[in-house]
Amino acid sequence: MAKSAYQPPRQSTLGQIIDSVVILGAVFLALWLPIAANLAGADTKQILPPGVTVAENADGSKTWTGLTWEGLGQNATMQAQWEKLGYSIEDAAGLITVWFDYEINWLLALVTAVVVIGYFAILLYYSEREYKEVIAEKFDR
Amino acid sequence: MSDSAVTATQTANPNAINLKKVLGPVHVWALGVGIVLVGEFMGWNYSVAKGGAYGSLIACWVIGLLYTCVAMIDSEITSTVAAAGGQYAQAKHTTGPLMAFNVGIYLVMAYTMLEAADVLVFGDLVSIGAGELGREGVDPKPFVFLAVAVLAWLNYRGVFMALSVNFLITAVAFFSIIILWVGVQPFSPGEITQHAEMLAIVPLPELSSVQGLPYGWLGVLAAFQFGTWYYLGIEGTCQAAEEVRSAGRSLPLGTMSGMITLLIAASLTWWICAGMLPWDYLGQALAPLYDASKMTGSNFLVVLLWVATVFSAIASANGCINDASRAWFSMGRDRYLPQWFAAVHPRYRTPYRSILFLIPIAVAFGFTGLLAQTITFSIVSGLLGYTFMPINLTKFRRKWPLGSIKRGFVSPMHPIPAIVLMTLCVLTFFAVFLGFGTQLFVMIGFYIFISLYFVYRRYKYVRRGDQFTMAWPKPQGY
Amino acid sequence: MDFWDILQYGSWAVAALLLLWMVADAFMVSSQFTEDVLTSSQEGIDELAAQQQAHNAGKGS
Repeated sequence: MAKSAYQPPRQSTLGQIIDSVVILGAVFLALWLPIAANLAGADTKQILPPGVTVAENADGSKTWTGLTWEGLGQNATMQAQWEKLGYSIEDAAGLITVWFDYEINWLLALVTAVVVIGYFAILLYYSEREYKEVIAEKFDR
Repeated sequence: MSDSAVTATQTANPNAINLKKVLGPVHVWALGVGIVLVGEFMGWNYSVAKGGAYGSLIACWVIGLLYTCVAMIDSEITSTVAAAGGQYAQAKHTTGPLMAFNVGIYLVMAYTMLEAADVLVFGDLVSIGAGELGREGVDPKPFVFLAVAVLAWLNYRGVFMALSVNFLITAVAFFSIIILWVGVQPFSPGEITQHAEMLAIVPLPELSSVQGLPYGWLGVLAAFQFGTWYYLGIEGTCQAAEEVRSAGRSLPLGTMSGMITLLIAASLTWWICAGMLPWDYLGQALAPLYDASKMTGSNFLVVLLWVATVFSAIASANGCINDASRAWFSMGRDRYLPQWFAAVHPRYRTPYRSILFLIPIAVAFGFTGLLAQTITFSIVSGLLGYTFMPINLTKFRRKWPLGSIKRGFVSPMHPIPAIVLMTLCVLTFFAVFLGFGTQLFVMIGFYIFISLYFVYRRYKYVRRGDQFTMAWPKPQGY
Repeated sequence: MDFWDILQYGSWAVAALLLLWMVADAFMVSSQFTEDVLTSSQEGIDELAAQQQAHNAGKGS
């Protein structure tokens, strides 16, 4: 079983710099860019109570019509707390009418599940292969 | 002076510089809670947006069970793999190099994103504080940048290491929650807190048919995602394995008492906030406990909670820089990452290059101002690590069955905790998928990319046998 | 230019100075010591671990 130990090459300075830049680049391209560009925020939708309309003005502000606290599902205590927070009914409506979209896209769910499970499969497969080498070199030499 | 220091490092002899085992359960407790407590001051409340106030409370308790399993499993392996690298060192010994590389990156990303979230909140709080003092429009970015730079500098110099300030400010933050709880008169409901009315959420008929749950039970499940934020990082106690006196007793005891502390803090936090803030507001608030203090009308409480939120954020960020840079350093030393990162500063004895390298990541995510998204990256990385733990324990028990090596602590009722943990992890992945599916996808894509990068480019620089550092018999089946 | 403006510019400046100091120090260290010396620590027996222990002890006291 006498096998000589694997001698890794020595990585050049340039190689080390490249590897560092690649990792940093991966973090920024894969993680930072999607959220900074707002591609990966929460999936939400707006649901307006009956009789309420909202229009966006040119300056980005919004004009609401037909707002009532009851219509927004707020009781008198909640209304008092909103007002204590300094929120007008329009401000509050901007938060209350935004809902998460939990409509499940089963195809997407399946794809995500396959990707996550596939990822762990890759991890365990390669780890096992490398682990055998480690054990062989550690214990059989 | 510096030359002699280097000589000391060079001639280090395992018998001479073995770590002193001085830490008891109290230290383990402090180490864990210091990083995590900030989770009660910000971030957890996004679970309210995902499932309503009751959904958040249920998530808090169910995820508490998840972390109890994590603590039990982790205690067994850590009390045996007494290496400072924590889960990273465990993965090297039980599963293999690629898994270890990924686990190491999970640790770094979970801590760095938590650090980014901490400094983001710090910057915003300064801006809010300025607003309270009558100056609107103060840009949070310079304060985010300043917080990262100062904390990195302290870690670079190693000055912070000798201070017990971190522990102290964590204690202040914890007691502020209790003081606030007393301040809202918990024994006379309806005076300041209005639970009965505030929790009477009438759901939209098209979304839910369950009173009080705006998204029904699906929303409760979805809330699991941010339910993790109440506890995320408590598993960091295991990083101290090498220095713990009678690890078999101290680690489980310290970790479990930390969990109990967090459960108490989390329940109080939920109770205070749910009774005063409308759930639609709470679900998007930056610093819910601070907002709750403003509703009491007491200036003392407002100042106290502002200070406590800042303290908890700084304490957490400080611990995160320390832990993340140390994990990055360990991977450099094994050449999983460029060896360049394995440098120790000859004067300050810190992993100074790793500290420097991680600064731009923390600053960049802190600058986005997108707290929920930054937190989600931390959560997904943490969650991947927890998913690995049942695998870890199963492999550990199979390769070294009970009795073949000395274990400091044996996780009870195996395999029930492993099965429960795996089930809860799958549910939590689904919870992230609900509403944050794109980010889940993006993050897994990132890990697949760096895994392939490791296999095809990095691993050739790694010495094979040297990765196995424990004095154990050969694993069974090899 | 009020107090808060000064505070903001001051924060940028102090943070940048600290960063510069660290980068400059890192370069100086690299020029004074060889890579072999700097990366000579080994798992379990390095100075860093000992210091980590001191830090943990300090944190808990």
